[in-house]
Amino acid sequence: MPQATSRSDATRAVVFSPLEGAGRAELVEQRLTDAIVAGVLRDGERLPSESELAKSLGVAVVTAREALVALRDKGLVLTRRGRDGGSFVTHDRDASMRMIDARVRALSRIELRDLSLHYAAIAGMAAEVAADRASDDDLASLVEIDARAELGSPGGARRAMGRFQLEVAAVSQSPRLVHEELRLQAESGPLLWMCLREQAYRDRSRQARVEVIEAVRAVDPAGARRATVDHIASATEWLIDEKARLESPEPNPQPAPDAEDRKG
Amino acid sequence: MNTTVANAADTIAHRIAATIDPLFTLIDTWRDSLETRLAVVDEPSAAELDPAIAALVRPALDHSSALITGAGFVAAPGFLHDAPWHLAWWLSGTNTFRAAAGGGVRRLDAESDPDAEQFRDYTTLEWWRTPARTGTWHLTGPYVDYLCTDDYTVTITTPVMVDGEMAGVVGIDAYVVRLERELLPVLRESGHPCTLVNASGRIVASTDSRHATGALLRLDGLASVLAPLHEHQGQAVASVLPGGQFVVPCGDTTLALVFATA
Repeated sequence: MPQATSRSDATRAVVFSPLEGAGRAELVEQRLTDAIVAGVLRDGERLPSESELAKSLGVAVVTAREALVALRDKGLVLTRRGRDGGSFVTHDRDASMRMIDARVRALSRIELRDLSLHYAAIAGMAAEVAADRASDDDLASLVEIDARAELGSPGGARRAMGRFQLEVAAVSQSPRLVHEELRLQAESGPLLWMCLREQAYRDRSRQARVEVIEAVRAVDPAGARRATVDHIASATEWLIDEKARLESPEPNPQPAPDAEDRKG
Repeated sequence: MNTTVANAADTIAHRIAATIDPLFTLIDTWRDSLETRLAVVDEPSAAELDPAIAALVRPALDHSSALITGAGFVAAPGFLHDAPWHLAWWLSGTNTFRAAAGGGVRRLDAESDPDAEQFRDYTTLEWWRTPARTGTWHLTGPYVDYLCTDDYTVTITTPVMVDGEMAGVVGIDAYVVRLERELLPVLRESGHPCTLVNASGRIVASTDSRHATGALLRLDGLASVLAPLHEHQGQAVASVLPGGQFVVPCGDTTLALVFATA
């Protein structure tokens, strides 16, 4: 009984908690930072104006301005005045990698594992349902996305990963899973798929896709889920190891076997 | 076969067709109007065509209670001299996709630069590919339209032909949620467990709670009965499946009604 009471108190508390955890400017800032780090917004790209940004995100102009100032302070955005002025993304690959590394250091192992578990819950369920609901056309588009994957670079492997997972979510016929997949790709993707800096993990990602495709072809929902969840688990193990390497006290932690590979 | 069941199925199939037929009629009107217009234009341009399409489709989108949540024209790559890839598509005020406060009909902002990250080659999508192959209209979905409006959608498209070449497609989007709201009462009237499927056997609506919209209805023999609907080849006819279910095509909609007879 005390259990039940406290639970209902907790759910009541959620109802009346502030609508957003952080301030709105921070939310806008995080959204744009994620997009820049993930490469959705590219280096040199012009951002919408303050008022356009405010309108499309549904926030006040001052909020959008505040977020842009914060991005400028982080060095992710450059503002130029004049006729061709505006805010531009300034973010190259090295800066992107430094930011991701900083995020890996800032998050605890517990948080990284929780993030991975959340993503596996979404992606695993999507794969399970997709295997049951895929038509021949759906299967053909999954095969097509896999065939077009460019595994030579981390960026190519990441894009293939994202497109494939999104298509799997769409094949599950759930608007909510699609929405959540997109949101988590922006939020967790850059961390979770850090392992794609290594060729061995890029090959592993291909292998996981092939396993999912075969499970979908065989109408094997459990198999599709397992292949998806196992793949996310192995990416998470790499991430936790990478965190240990980044936190290692030696100035030059042991170089990874394929160090030049990681620049891509 | 039980004649009472057959008659009931037939009646419901007709009523389903009658609910959806006005959408096809509307799209045919748009196609005819565009074909007439484009037949006399030497160098078709997006600049000149867009206002005409807006005028054509807007009245259908202004009805907030209507099934239609999006409508427009998508050009064949290279057909318009000022826009190699072009979507002239409008969303109704009730369409929730990136709706600004106040709502109202607005244009879909699609990426038409093939070099951009967000660009997608729409000629690979079912709502383009299938009408391009069969030369006639096609009902796509239910599907999650994550490229355009992020919602659970049925899209009906038909080719627009100029000088024997496909100039593009005209079509409409409808939310599956609204379609179900309109169709479910009709299905329930039969008093029999029945399920409406598209030509791929995907469930559009069902009175049976075990059959979820979006799932595939897996019944012995169903795929071969639906095959003529899928390719618009020949006349689909009412049939009985090995499991005893009764399958009735809903007019020309390419949808079919599956009646459990047990």
